[in-house]
Amino acid sequence: MSALVDAWPQLLSGLGTTVFVLVTSAVGALVLGTLVTVARVSPVPVLRAAAFGYVQVLVNVPLLALLLLAVFALPDAGLIAPLVTTAIVVLTVYEAAYVAEALRSGINTVSRGQVEAARALGFTLAQTLRLVVVPQAARTVVQPLGNVLIALLMNTALTATVGVVELTSATNKVNLVQAQPIPIFGAAGLVYMALALVIGLGAGRIEKRVAIRR
Amino acid sequence: MSRTLRRRSTIAASLALVASLALSACGGSDSGSSAVPPSAGGGGDDALQEVYDNAPVAEAAALLSDSTMAAIRERGVLRVAAALDAPLLSQQDPSNPDDIQGFDIDLAKMLAIYIIGEPNIEVVPPASETREALLTNGTVDVVFNTYTITEERAEQISFAGPYFVSGLAVAVAADNEDIAGIDDLGGRTVIVGANTPAVTAVPEQQPTAEVVSFATDPQCVQALTQGRGDAYVQDYTLLAADAESNDGIKVVGQPFTEEAYGIGLPPNDPDFKDFVNDWLEQIYADGSWAAVFDATLGTVGDGSTPEPPAIGSVPGS
Repeated sequence: MSALVDAWPQLLSGLGTTVFVLVTSAVGALVLGTLVTVARVSPVPVLRAAAFGYVQVLVNVPLLALLLLAVFALPDAGLIAPLVTTAIVVLTVYEAAYVAEALRSGINTVSRGQVEAARALGFTLAQTLRLVVVPQAARTVVQPLGNVLIALLMNTALTATVGVVELTSATNKVNLVQAQPIPIFGAAGLVYMALALVIGLGAGRIEKRVAIRR
Repeated sequence: MSRTLRRRSTIAASLALVASLALSACGGSDSGSSAVPPSAGGGGDDALQEVYDNAPVAEAAALLSDSTMAAIRERGVLRVAAALDAPLLSQQDPSNPDDIQGFDIDLAKMLAIYIIGEPNIEVVPPASETREALLTNGTVDVVFNTYTITEERAEQISFAGPYFVSGLAVAVAADNEDIAGIDDLGGRTVIVGANTPAVTAVPEQQPTAEVVSFATDPQCVQALTQGRGDAYVQDYTLLAADAESNDGIKVVGQPFTEEAYGIGLPPNDPDFKDFVNDWLEQIYADGSWAAVFDATLGTVGDGSTPEPPAIGSVPGS
């Protein structure tokens, strides 16, 4: 316990980085995922194929492989950026694929009648998607999106392997000196659990508020 | 599908599943490998073979009944926690998984010869955080893993030795002329290994340096050559091996700390610790330790062989 108290500033700074990476990648993934879903359901075959390819590639490659590629292989091709930036970009791109899949399942729940009615009212494709389909789709998949965000939280811990000083990395450094892994890593685990609970309960509350009663 | 055809295809599918599980299980168990001494493949290997042939073997009286060493002899194999990817210290040959060479692993083989008579070892590669756990729960008998002796660690496990004294040194990109040692690292970005003593040593010496850590040594070297940091602080022996194989980096200055390596032993076992320390005294005295050093770490130094350190000279050992 004293080990935790002594290393308080380090652990807090690590937690700050975790939350920063989590929030930034979450926002990015939600935006990018929505765009990919829109491409996936658009009438343009090239866009549909591109979105399909994007999702299939990214859900089938391990995140660690992507992180190692981005941090250690891209600089040889000339693309070097600060570690935190690289980690956020990779997490955004990776989780956007899962967001896209979740949203696509939501779009499938919107009945055909809605699209036909929108067309009958003279909406363009963009208006149909923006005003009719995506709002309804998003409101049905709040809980799955919450799960994707929890997975994103756990994946921020993986960025420790490529040098980002977030909570897991900071905990590791403290343990290196103290050599008391059970209380130290246990405490870090509890913090992650608390963050995941916040996301999960938040998603539950949002879902109750925006649920569509048919 | 007819019932017979369905039954046959179910049997075929389940056989295929069992076969693939069995094969994957075979593939997955190569983390524990029993090493044989390297066969003649160069001067260094011949010299080592001679060392193994002449390695001391414990007298039967030294193996007290009901002791750890008697149990190891009974079992016929020494379980060692050692790396598989540390050049000159414990490096597995990728084309021959049974062949692991290096300073740490050769000493482990000699300890196995001392206890059992044959260099039968089973290697479990540890992560730095798990070495204490592996010893306390009995998964391994000894740890030979450039295991620095610290008092915090000595509270949980025992150390024999020290068997080698090294230190942290600084490496920079080969074309860097600005940095000549640890004193020039103020305000710079310094790369360190994620679970090494450098994590605490660099901020102690240079509080203004920004420290970036990566998981493995190859990743740190890559980061240094790609320009993610101005310098890489790591153990002198590791840096020397890296500089030897990679022209893009060079070691500058002398080691600025003293890191004593010890053999990790299970806690609360003074008989085993005395036994291993006796063995260390023997190989220091008869020149085997020096021969192993010359064949491994000595190949990248300036040719001189250091004196073996005094056993018990470091707090915690």
